[in-house]
Amino acid sequence: MSLNSSSRSATSNSNSKRSVTSNSNSNPSTSGNNSCRNNDKRNRKRKTDQNQKTLGMAWGANSRSSSRSAFRNSPFPDFGSYMVMKNQKLHQQFDADASSSSVSGACSGKPIFDGVSIFVDGYTVPSSQELKGYMLKYGGRFENYFSRHHVTHIICSNLPDSKIKNLRSFSGGLPVVKPTWVLESVAANKLLSWIPYQLDQLASETKKQPKLSAFGFKSGPVLDDLEESISGQAVPQSGIATLRTSCSLEANIFGKAECTEEVEECHSVSDDPFHPNAAESADQAPTYCMENHCEVELDAAVVVQSDAGYHSHISPCQDPKSDHNDCLEDHIIEESSSSKTIRPSTTGHSTLSDANFVENYFKFSRLHFIGTWRNRYRKRFLSSANGFKDMNPSRNAFATSQKTTIIHVDMDCFFVSVVIRKHSDLKDKPVAVCHSDNSRGTAEISSANYPARNHGVKAGMFIRDAKALCPQLVILPYNFDAYEEVADQFYDILHKHCNKVQAVSCDEAFIDVTDLRVEDPELFARAIRTEIHETTGCTASAGIAGSMLMARVATRIAKPDGLCYIPSEKVDDYLHELPVKALPGIGHVLEEKLKKKQINTCGQLRLISKESLQKDFGVKTGDMLWNFSRGIDNRLVGVFQESKSIGADVNWGVRFNDLNDMKDFLLKLCKEVSLRLQGCGLKGRTITLKIKKRRSDAGEPVKYMGCGDCENLSRSVTLPMATDDVDVFQRITAQLFGYFHIDARDIRGAGLQASKLESADRNMRGHEKYSIRSWLVSSPARKSSMAKGKGDQLYSDIGPPVQARGSFSGGEAYVAHRATLPALHDLDVGVIESLPPEVLSEINDLYAGELISFISKKKEKNAGNNVMDEEQSLSNPLVPPNKDFVHNVAEKIKSSEKEDEQYINKMIQGLPETSGSVTALLPETDSLMPSSLSQVDSSVLQQLPEELLADVLESLPAHRRPDFMSNDVYLDHIRDQTGAIDFLPSNNLWVGNPPRWVDNFRLSSCQLLNRIAVLYNKSSPRGQFSSVLQLIMSEYPLDDGGDDAVNCLCELMKQYIKLKIETDVEEIYTCSCLLRRLTSRSELFLQVYNCIIPHLQAAVGETYGGDLNICFIE
Amino acid sequence: MERKDNNQAKAPQGAGEAARILTEFLEVAISCIIFLKGVYPHGAFERRRYMNVVVHRARHPQLRDYIHSSVNGLLPFIQKGLVERVVVIFFDNEDFPIERFVFKVNLNLSYGSKVEQSDLEFSLRSFLIKLPVSESLTKLLPRGCRWEITAYFRALPEASTSKDSELIWIPTDTKQWQQPPLITPIKSMNSEPLGVQLYLEHPSLSEPKP
Repeated sequence: MSLNSSSRSATSNSNSKRSVTSNSNSNPSTSGNNSCRNNDKRNRKRKTDQNQKTLGMAWGANSRSSSRSAFRNSPFPDFGSYMVMKNQKLHQQFDADASSSSVSGACSGKPIFDGVSIFVDGYTVPSSQELKGYMLKYGGRFENYFSRHHVTHIICSNLPDSKIKNLRSFSGGLPVVKPTWVLESVAANKLLSWIPYQLDQLASETKKQPKLSAFGFKSGPVLDDLEESISGQAVPQSGIATLRTSCSLEANIFGKAECTEEVEECHSVSDDPFHPNAAESADQAPTYCMENHCEVELDAAVVVQSDAGYHSHISPCQDPKSDHNDCLEDHIIEESSSSKTIRPSTTGHSTLSDANFVENYFKFSRLHFIGTWRNRYRKRFLSSANGFKDMNPSRNAFATSQKTTIIHVDMDCFFVSVVIRKHSDLKDKPVAVCHSDNSRGTAEISSANYPARNHGVKAGMFIRDAKALCPQLVILPYNFDAYEEVADQFYDILHKHCNKVQAVSCDEAFIDVTDLRVEDPELFARAIRTEIHETTGCTASAGIAGSMLMARVATRIAKPDGLCYIPSEKVDDYLHELPVKALPGIGHVLEEKLKKKQINTCGQLRLISKESLQKDFGVKTGDMLWNFSRGIDNRLVGVFQESKSIGADVNWGVRFNDLNDMKDFLLKLCKEVSLRLQGCGLKGRTITLKIKKRRSDAGEPVKYMGCGDCENLSRSVTLPMATDDVDVFQRITAQLFGYFHIDARDIRGAGLQASKLESADRNMRGHEKYSIRSWLVSSPARKSSMAKGKGDQLYSDIGPPVQARGSFSGGEAYVAHRATLPALHDLDVGVIESLPPEVLSEINDLYAGELISFISKKKEKNAGNNVMDEEQSLSNPLVPPNKDFVHNVAEKIKSSEKEDEQYINKMIQGLPETSGSVTALLPETDSLMPSSLSQVDSSVLQQLPEELLADVLESLPAHRRPDFMSNDVYLDHIRDQTGAIDFLPSNNLWVGNPPRWVDNFRLSSCQLLNRIAVLYNKSSPRGQFSSVLQLIMSEYPLDDGGDDAVNCLCELMKQYIKLKIETDVEEIYTCSCLLRRLTSRSELFLQVYNCIIPHLQAAVGETYGGDLNICFIE
Repeated sequence: MERKDNNQAKAPQGAGEAARILTEFLEVAISCIIFLKGVYPHGAFERRRYMNVVVHRARHPQLRDYIHSSVNGLLPFIQKGLVERVVVIFFDNEDFPIERFVFKVNLNLSYGSKVEQSDLEFSLRSFLIKLPVSESLTKLLPRGCRWEITAYFRALPEASTSKDSELIWIPTDTKQWQQPPLITPIKSMNSEPLGVQLYLEHPSLSEPKP
């Protein structure tokens, strides 16, 4: 059922003339409600037809029409249009009455019922006419005919059983209240909450499945605010806190006219088959406390309250597949959500707006419960399982000689019987377990008890179908805690009796009693069954046979609550008539194949030779068929199958609007899988991403929010190292997802799995052993001795490359060093002396004060003692540690040919962050850089690539710039690069790399020129002036630099022209075009341009015999 | 397009190979220019792939042959470094040149190392990419125009080296512009051992009309 096509006006209030056309409508009741309000004449015929259909329900004929005179004088074509007119007239009358009463002013009271629109159902005290009078007087509205869109409250004293049973279709999710509510509200002169006044019949009914969205969702501040802001009204003192809040919230909403649209929205949504959604909680405890009435309301309340619930409801409306007129609806939704503070401000656009969708999804999934139960079981019974495994070989030894006896124990309709085990009254009634109890819903029944099965109710059936088969079907929610409890009890019993237990599922197990040498296995099984029944309150069936296969077949026969023993001699009899489908391992596909060969029973199957079976079905399957049809099953009890993969799949409620939604969702999946892996202590090496993609021709799935007809896509990648890390998962998943090239809106499901599982422990050890970190940690000693020839360095010495590198790998290296202080005589005095005083004193403390004296002693010796290694200059004994560091960075970068300046900056500035030791000891990041260039080995700098040099120079602290400007070393460096420094004008400005002008410009006093020099280093391709000019284009504002700058630039350009004119006239042309464009931005460039154009044309004429196609600018 | 002329190339190393690549490229580029100018209906060309770019090649055997043989006839001269410019000239119906596409060639003959087509491919391809988008720079041709390929030599070739292919080339008496033309560069490349520049020449505004 889709709401998508239904239309509604923005306000339900009074005489709204707004109407919206819908062009398709599959839902009669919705369309009935809407169509009447539709004054589109083209649609009238069709609409009224639909209307007629709905007239069966008195409630359906709601509405008033905005059409006026068209039908006044003509006979009504049908009942629907008559009702339209009637309603309209009634409204007019009511309005007239209301205005007259307010004009007369005689008794008009405070408009406490503002926004409330009641519908009175059946006999009430006071009568409906009196109630109407109250409504007139206190600003409310009174509807003669029910409409979900106009009515906000239903007033009645009594309800027939049929209406109670089908409350939703009766009330449309609206509150059903006793007339005293109206009276007492009038008496209190304010709108009271309707909660305490809800109909007793509804309030007393307990069997309904709660819409626990509200329960799971703790009422947050939003809600509280809401209450205050909307009503300022006392919260009724009843019920469970959360429930109450949400209900009162609803009451409040009803109390306000401006909210009605919203409520309406909610109701129409809640009218949808309700399904376990993100916010739905299966928390059992409040279920029974909850009053039935609230249950109805909660649907709506939840929608308002939690955006999670809201969006999981709403999302079908926003489904991309829906018609275009949905846009309108979407718009309304958006509008209402934005105009009201009710909804949390984040109006998500998909199911995923629930932050915990994935989490909740699994929390309330039965399959997930079954899946994860295995781990629980493993943990709980691991020890006994181990003991059993040890025995396995011996068992194998005489298994051949001795006749085995295997008992298969299976709880009867586990999921139902556990839930009803404490309700003896339900034992013989048809009961099913399902997320939702909406009788029209497409929620699937997960389990039904035998009375229900007798009605034809089966697991996997939609509720609405089940209800159709068995109207008295009682539907209960899951109770996972109880399942867990019972399953544990079940296995406790089995393990008590026998230590060879193979768990199949939470409610099903094989036990091998061969070793127990039980005299009468039937008696033994009976004892177990009795004990299970007494302990758990649920029944179990048991099958006894010589093999697992036959035991299972026996259980089938025994069910429900029975026992069946198939001795080996009777196996053939049992199998002869057994349908092939009953054999394990034969599914739909295989069954179909067999059927085509006219094989329906095992007896028929037995007639076919093994070879022929193997030929038709493959060696393994053929073998299996041949064996099974003869009751041969060589499997051994007790092989607990280790999980081969761990993953999480979500195939329900998955709707995305864009890739970001999908990404968020994938992240959550990653987290989920990672958690599961960690829970099992495993890591996976292969990561598989599965996507369900809606087939292009598939419509909206029959199952509400289901996945429908999908293409299953899957991709996987195998990592070199097993992982359970979320980040890795996320990265890989994003990558895998990228391969699909899929529209996010077509995604109907996604699953992530980790396979090739390895134990996390083993993994960890391997990781430790081979990780680069451990390698690095072990290397410093060797390397530092190379660098300094002095063994271990003082850990505070950040200079030596190894040390720096070691600290990249994290704090461990540092810790390792810290643990043992290097011997005093191993310290490099030069290094220590150049440390900041506070660091020095700290280290001194570590050495218990001996350091200072040691330094002074060492200093005396130092003159003759060549401690420094060769690349250090002797003239400067106090070479700072930084030198080596810079060198190291340079070398590293050079070798890896990384030229990205950000990378370098990161290297330089990021280091203190990556290594705890450095930050701890050197509070200023600045001190990482040499305090001036004089401390930098010029030979190192010279070896740097130009870009890197520029970066290193740039990253010098700003206040030290003047320092290096005048620095000899620096100038030397320039001299080395470019020969003698002579400032402008020079004949070879473009010589060198970077060209000499770059340095000249950098040193210039003109800011513009400085800027150009900087831009040169940023430009790419390097060396082309046009790319520099292009960068200048994007600079703003351009400051003028005076005549000097003009001259410099002219000279530069002239030389550039000269350089390029022969080989690259295109570049010259581009430059002049760019210059020309710059002229409009800056006077300076206009001067430059006009200055070089004659020169340029002369050069072109000389070389090419023509003029460049550019012109002067005046 | 196809490498038909491998046999013609002399020692296929360094400059020689570069010259061969250049002629091949020129053949393609000239075809593209002819296509671009729309001298013939578009149907007279077929789409081909050269250096991984879509180019157009003449379908008509005579047209194709003209371009192919004239450019390949240049190869020996290019290899000797004699060719300075290869120009595609478009004339109006009075044989007055309206537009000239000039390939200025600069081949370093002393370049000894081996040259692979892939080395030059990147640069040469940029011409083929730039050409189709340069249509706006060109002039609309009048009806009844004609075109020719003219090569400008640095020096007159010696008559002795007479081979069939070289005999295609004859001295021209093409009309010249009186005034220096207006130059619009289209693309330049400058790598070892080959430098090519493509630019447009249009008659200057002060050019006296015939």
